[in-house]
Amino acid sequence: MTWHVSVELFEAYDQGRLDPSRVMAVDAHLQACPVCRGAVPVDVVWLDRSWSVVLDAVESPATDRAERVLQRLGLPEHRVRLLSATPALRWSWLASTAAVLAFAVVAAYTGRAGAETVQLLFLIIAPVLPVLAVATAYGPPADPMHEITATTPLAGPSLALWRATAVVGVSMAMGLVAAILLPGPGWYALAWLLPAFLLCVSTLALATAMPLRVAAGVFGGAWLAGTGALAVSGADVSPAFHEPGAQAGYLAAAVAAAAVLTVRRRRLDPGETR
Amino acid sequence: MRGRRTTQSEPVTELSSDTELLSAVAGARVEALRLLHHRHAPWLRARLARRCADPDVVDAAIQDTFLAVWRDAHRYRDTGAEPAAWIWTIAVRRLVSALRGPGHRWLGGHSTTEATTTAPSAEELVLLRVEHGDLGAALDRLPPELRALIQATALDGLTVREAARLLGVPEGTAKTRLMRARARLRELLS
Repeated sequence: MTWHVSVELFEAYDQGRLDPSRVMAVDAHLQACPVCRGAVPVDVVWLDRSWSVVLDAVESPATDRAERVLQRLGLPEHRVRLLSATPALRWSWLASTAAVLAFAVVAAYTGRAGAETVQLLFLIIAPVLPVLAVATAYGPPADPMHEITATTPLAGPSLALWRATAVVGVSMAMGLVAAILLPGPGWYALAWLLPAFLLCVSTLALATAMPLRVAAGVFGGAWLAGTGALAVSGADVSPAFHEPGAQAGYLAAAVAAAAVLTVRRRRLDPGETR
Repeated sequence: MRGRRTTQSEPVTELSSDTELLSAVAGARVEALRLLHHRHAPWLRARLARRCADPDVVDAAIQDTFLAVWRDAHRYRDTGAEPAAWIWTIAVRRLVSALRGPGHRWLGGHSTTEATTTAPSAEELVLLRVEHGDLGAALDRLPPELRALIQATALDGLTVREAARLLGVPEGTAKTRLMRARARLRELLS
């Protein structure tokens, strides 16, 4: 390097008083010469502020993969964050649901009680899993973040419905995988979907009149009691699933419940104590 | 950044070279990024300010630059370019994309980064000696719009397309101007 940028030259450069060719010379020189780069006067206040912005961005937690996928699907970031804070979408919850379903599948293959019984048990229990997820999707005491969530503008019925949709989607998908793995006639994989859907929608519809957990208890309990009683009394439970009439009935009831939910959605229990 | 390897083996200090600092940054060490920032932000700011009159845009470009360094430091090894030149190329591209408006973070791609930073171009070497020859006078006599093109491509390491974006002209115009600028320089120097 034959020359260096003097203080005067740099000042002229910085204030834009140089000929274009000299500006270019200083540019090229700065890029090549560490000494002159180091000699550039430092505005400490500016430097600290700039660094603090960089540091904030570097230290902010990375968005998780699931959140990124949802964002790519077009959901706004705040909504994604509130959805991913759903208790029923936590790993512990997902793991326990997966474990229950896995036990059912394993039992169906190895159980002493006979595959038939286990399959029926599966059909009876599977529809209740999404309902449980819905019951814990929003509000105290299931959601430890509820106090914070409640202060967001999205809190209330709309968030309760968003979360319910998310958890029902996830738990039904898991149930479907388990059902496909289950030995037995192919229709088993699909037969429980409509009852599950019906139970979820009617739980939400009833939640417009009473707390969500109570509503979930009513329908979950009614389903278990009804099918359980049928099974214990020795009657054949399977027609309740594979009869077209029964399935059509579930569908009709679900549509009716959905209508009730749509009309009364503003009264959906937001989980607050009243 | 979760899940990134953190190596605490060699301490980084003010005396560490840029290359050492970059490899420490690749190992997710914030301290190294701080040193790099403090070492390079001031001259980047002065140089970017010659290209963009809005100090907020320049500041944002510099912050983006060091975030990109934080993310991409592990890529630096592959290019083998001088660290300052590598950082400058990132900075000027960030400035160009900031001028393009939000939503478009990157222009070109890593392939162009490598192509433009591996070695100083002949023009750049000539520019270093501009003080001593008649090249300075020739550059000064170039029409401003032609000179701006030479500056953006030869000096800043931008592609013609990025230069066009920086100067706010269509790509075709930029190409023609660059050709005219070269022809003109040849004429002035002969």
